[in-house]
Amino acid sequence: MQGKKNCQLVEVFKTEQGIVYQCNRQNMFCLEFSGVSSFFKITDFLDFIKKVNKIDIEAMASSTSPGSDIAILMPHYTERCFVLTMTDVLKLRELLSGAKFMLQLNSMIFQCLSNPVS
Amino acid sequence: MKDLLRLRTSLTEEIEALLNEQIKIEAYSSAVYLAMSSWCNRNGYDNSASYLEKQSYEEREHMMKIFRFVNDMGGRAVSPEITNIPQEFESFRGVFELALQQEIHVSSKINNIADRCFKAKDYMTFQFIQWFLKEQIEEEYVARRILELFDVIGEEGTGRWQIDKNIPKVTYGEEAGEE
Repeated sequence: MQGKKNCQLVEVFKTEQGIVYQCNRQNMFCLEFSGVSSFFKITDFLDFIKKVNKIDIEAMASSTSPGSDIAILMPHYTERCFVLTMTDVLKLRELLSGAKFMLQLNSMIFQCLSNPVS
Repeated sequence: MKDLLRLRTSLTEEIEALLNEQIKIEAYSSAVYLAMSSWCNRNGYDNSASYLEKQSYEEREHMMKIFRFVNDMGGRAVSPEITNIPQEFESFRGVFELALQQEIHVSSKINNIADRCFKAKDYMTFQFIQWFLKEQIEEEYVARRILELFDVIGEEGTGRWQIDKNIPKVTYGEEAGEE
């Protein structure tokens, strides 16, 4: 289990609901959401974003069956079970897509800096 | 801030998705060729059955080539789920018409990957995919030539027997020239 002790955390993206950090020492991401921290390896974090984006919000909203307004994500790479309401899903998506954008932007900046236009 | 995305892989999300899609297409082709082989075997076209079985094996090799590349580049190669494989075919000729259509479809997908690699300036994947572009020239040529046998020899009388006999002999020009 990962802790924050040996981490060198850099904030990637923040919303009112949570924060995504990057640990430059362990090459991992830390997601703080609903007051709980979860650590992800790079590939797992990207996979988690995909999983959250795949949640069918419309189906959750339109179904009348009990429990349909809750989405449960239990990725094997974390010990956390994400129990998400529709609002949680939207808030988590906002946080993750913002983080992903910042990571891609960071990559682009690195690329530009390593290939400066003369 | 360290560039963790680049540390993981040099493949962009888009290129990785395209390569995984291609893995699935190659796996589908392999499965279809195998079904065609079985159909030919059931209907007495032994040479075609062997030829198609060999093709199926080749398609799987193509799939594995891409699969290994994605993993080697730090990406996540996905073992594909293959469904809806046709097991019955209209006719002997129909089998090879479908084979040509499948090869044309593969060529179009490979072309698209090359195009996207160029646009994304991913020249490593572009170089990798060039082997497939060359391979598709051969695949389409052979599939077309086989289909032409049906017109050249004709299906009447012992025609199909002759066609079946000649199918394994069809090779691409460069390859044939080397012999």
